[in-house]
Amino acid sequence: MRFAPAITEPTRLPKGSLPSRRQTIKRLLAAAALLTTTALTGIGLDIAPAHAEDEIRIGVIYPLTGAAASTGVELKAAAELAAAIVNKEIPAPPGLVAGIGLPNLKGAKIKLIFGDHQGNPQVGATEAERLITSEKVVALTGAYFSNVTATASQVAERYGVPFLNGESSSASLTQRKFKWFFRTTPHDDLFVGNFFTFLGDMEKKTGDTLRSVALFNENTLWGNETTKLQVKLSEEQKFTIAEKILYPAKTTQMTSEVQRIKAAAPAVIMQSSYLGDAILSMKTYKELGFLPKMLLANDAGFNDSEFLKTMGKDGEFVISREVWALDQAERNPLIKQVNELMQKRSGVNFNGNSARAFTGIAVLADALDRAGSTKPDAIREALQKTDIPASGLIMPWKGVKFDASGQNELGTGIIVQVQGGQYVTVWPFDVATKPVVYPMPAWDGR
Amino acid sequence: MTTGTNVSRKMAGTAALLALAAVLPLAVTEPSQQNFLILILMGAQMGVAWNIVGGYAGQVSLGHAVFYGIGAYTSTMLLLTLGLTPWIGALAGGLVAAAFALAMGWPCFRLKGHYFAMATIAVAEIMQILVTNSDALEGAVGLYLPMDQSGWGVLIFLSKLPYYYVILGLLVLTVLVSWAIERSHIGYYFRAIKDEPEAARALGVSLTRYKLIALTVSAFLTAMGGSFYAQKEMFIDPGSVFAGTISIKIALIAILGGVGRLTGPVLGAVILITIEEYSRTLFGSTGSGTDMIIYAAMIILVAVFSPSGVLGLLGDLRRHLPGAKPAEVETSAKEIRP
Amino acid sequence: MHGGTFGIATPRVPLTPALSPGGEGDMPLVKSLPAHPDRKKGAAMTADILFQVLVSGLLIGLIYALVAVGLTLIFGVMDIVNFAHGEFLMLGMYASFWAFALFAIDPIVALPLTALLLFAVGVIVYQTVIRRILKAPMLSQIFATFGLMILLRGLAQFFWKPDHRLIPHSLVSGNVAFGPVQFGLPQFVAALGAVGVTGALWMFLHRTRLGTALEATAIDREAATLMGIDGQKMFALAWGIGAACAGLAGGLIATFFPIFPEVGSNFILIAFVVVVLGGFGSVTGAFLAGIIVGLIEVLGGFLVGPEYKTAIVLSLLLIVLLVRPRGLLGKA
Repeated sequence: MRFAPAITEPTRLPKGSLPSRRQTIKRLLAAAALLTTTALTGIGLDIAPAHAEDEIRIGVIYPLTGAAASTGVELKAAAELAAAIVNKEIPAPPGLVAGIGLPNLKGAKIKLIFGDHQGNPQVGATEAERLITSEKVVALTGAYFSNVTATASQVAERYGVPFLNGESSSASLTQRKFKWFFRTTPHDDLFVGNFFTFLGDMEKKTGDTLRSVALFNENTLWGNETTKLQVKLSEEQKFTIAEKILYPAKTTQMTSEVQRIKAAAPAVIMQSSYLGDAILSMKTYKELGFLPKMLLANDAGFNDSEFLKTMGKDGEFVISREVWALDQAERNPLIKQVNELMQKRSGVNFNGNSARAFTGIAVLADALDRAGSTKPDAIREALQKTDIPASGLIMPWKGVKFDASGQNELGTGIIVQVQGGQYVTVWPFDVATKPVVYPMPAWDGR
Repeated sequence: MTTGTNVSRKMAGTAALLALAAVLPLAVTEPSQQNFLILILMGAQMGVAWNIVGGYAGQVSLGHAVFYGIGAYTSTMLLLTLGLTPWIGALAGGLVAAAFALAMGWPCFRLKGHYFAMATIAVAEIMQILVTNSDALEGAVGLYLPMDQSGWGVLIFLSKLPYYYVILGLLVLTVLVSWAIERSHIGYYFRAIKDEPEAARALGVSLTRYKLIALTVSAFLTAMGGSFYAQKEMFIDPGSVFAGTISIKIALIAILGGVGRLTGPVLGAVILITIEEYSRTLFGSTGSGTDMIIYAAMIILVAVFSPSGVLGLLGDLRRHLPGAKPAEVETSAKEIRP
Repeated sequence: MHGGTFGIATPRVPLTPALSPGGEGDMPLVKSLPAHPDRKKGAAMTADILFQVLVSGLLIGLIYALVAVGLTLIFGVMDIVNFAHGEFLMLGMYASFWAFALFAIDPIVALPLTALLLFAVGVIVYQTVIRRILKAPMLSQIFATFGLMILLRGLAQFFWKPDHRLIPHSLVSGNVAFGPVQFGLPQFVAALGAVGVTGALWMFLHRTRLGTALEATAIDREAATLMGIDGQKMFALAWGIGAACAGLAGGLIATFFPIFPEVGSNFILIAFVVVVLGGFGSVTGAFLAGIIVGLIEVLGGFLVGPEYKTAIVLSLLLIVLLVRPRGLLGKA
């Protein structure tokens, strides 16, 4: 009533002529094809694949696409190796946990059903629910990212399905009083504590003062929790925080960050980064000609198989907390034997992440066998009674035994250093295979 | 053109659809399938809410995650600190988001087209960074909802069914608001702003005022969707509710179904969420990126073959059917009395 | 103390660490290092540091500019925002990587090859997808290029695995120091390359017949068509050149940036910011804006805190848009 009629013309279609009949038919055919495909895939899922009676399904959730996909694929390979050993497709080295298969379940086979969480907590929860309710898995494992483990394990908790986490280190995960959550890896409290003990030990060895520390952590759940712990321990143990930086992941440049640290001139940098950022930061240290006496990395990107492959000699002398190192094979023959199996199967060595993924599946299989049943309650009870000696593991741990919160209380950490293109154990001194190279040699002195 | 039979036929159709939606979970009993339906309804609700400003008023926002996140954080913080029920928390979230929309819309609506879209992206990204670094909101660590409580008071449930009906109710509410706007003089102004902004201005319509109304209403409803997300997933962090990918997904849903149509986003959500979920569940476990390739190929096919959304495609079909009355079929806009 | 067999090795060149057992059971020596400046908040700014920060900002800013000129060219010519632009960058990086890994061609030497390859990719993308959505609404175009973005990432993961890769030793490596200011040679060469490519593009647009035709299409599509310029050809050319620019940027940063399927997502937001700040469609504007964004990002990150560096850049964008709703040099 107030407008000129021109405005009331519908403008649905792009300006120009109406589409011709032929075009419409073409488009319709395409749409029909699209909808048919969608519908068919939907139906395909509804008909749950008939699975054999003696097949025990375990859900495994990893980041198989997205920024962390390379790590996810590595974890997947390790989990598959563990399953192959449990299923006796590959002969197991004597003494290895779960190497005997599942005799109490009449030699049943386990089948891993993988889900992709894309690094997204909601997708992680959706996948957990799908694996539990439509894939009928008896237990879940995963998810590498702490925040995805958080949501996925909530789903497991609601459904009363055991969730065994092998590689997320956020301390808060086992502080939630969950009934169905178990974690084999030690968490950040222990790792960060080790850093400070290590620095104390180094001061005693060298007579140097290593009290001025820069905290350089990525700005998600993991980096934030790590920072809080580091700040707390610094205060308790009289370390000075020369600089504290939480940097945004997926950045295009790290010069502002490194420049700030350089200006603060700390003796030690404690850094938490995923792979891409770890590489970029090392490049930036070099670009700005800066290195502290010691670079203490918080695992993850610095211990990814690709870190050394891509960095070459620029990755030398980084010190990192770890849970696993190939040189521990000198002390534990299992490490060497299982690593050879991994080499044969996937062409890569284990690293801290994949060794923990392997151990997660093995511990779960051990519990399944002792449970002698696939009922959730039986599996949970068996997990609670888990008591695996150090000799059955490929980890340098004292064993696997869960406390009331579901945390493995026998896990320990080691500290490794990149020397000659290898991660070698340098701490605790009683399990070290090489001495610490200290201080870090300058870039042009290599 | 407005005929009684047409309207009543539409209403009958809507009622039948609603009845179907209400009984659907009785047939689909598996929780993961119910979860899938919930994801569709969540997507539809976001899409319909976005459509008010992006479709009717033609102001393309690619930063709607900011409202989604505000909704999720407001209701969750109120629940965690004051023990306030999310029923009120979601309303509060909506109001905060609406206020935010007013504050951000005032300057941003000076911008046109792509510049406006970019500004909305910038606002959403800035907000995500601020929340990530806010200690009061637990920053990047995120917030957990209490696992030990459940029931209608705290809006936390063990089964999927209540979530289904809550989000269905929210979707119906959102569609009703959208429908009311479409039929009112406000909706008429919206379309005028979109199609003939100069003419509308010449006739004395305050463009900014009506754009602000559109953005505010849309923000309010989007925020309620965000509160629902928090209640359902029971964990929020900046990366999951303020993410740029959420903004894009909200817009994609509306575009896919057909922008500026009441039911477009609902159809868009059905298709997009189906593609997303099934490409991942069927091909995601390989780790070779196949799921992304299939998802992307479908999106491109839709964009190329059906640029005005699936509803537009259906409209073309009807126009070419023998005996179809030309142009009558998809003109809800025309039926509106000024 | 710890009864370890190993002590601390003092490093010598080369890598083999010498074994020099540390004193067992030593008490911690109290030896005070020169006290570090006790700075609680913010970073101390000296002239040296200021220069260093400005140089670093300039270097990365020039890269941003190169990524953005291609994006803004495509927009200027046909009003389409290309969400897949970061993926062109990614393809450029992979092109360099494979040239290096398979044929031992240095990324710098491979640049012309990378440019040609990405030009072809741009034209193919135009011919297969973009040409069909020219008349579609803006939203459908966003939809299509967004799909393209996911598709290219998926294909990269499918064919080349999700691994992070790096070109270990390029012709350009090592550091350059001018007094107190240090920077990496790869970054420096990349920035120089960015200036060169952007300059060449500017010359092409303003000094050649074909380029002028392209520029004319960007300014007024209909008038250009009336003057006998083949719009379709111009569009394909814009996509080819736009993709080639992103590809060149990829080839230039491949000497120091990790290469992986998702790498485009690191750059795309900044590229958009640069394009909008410079004004959609303005090559000169994008060049200027790239430098400004680089400087502000590094400087702001240094002064305020790196966690806010992107927020600072985005706030700058919003402020500029409020004053100049079409960016610095956008066409009216």
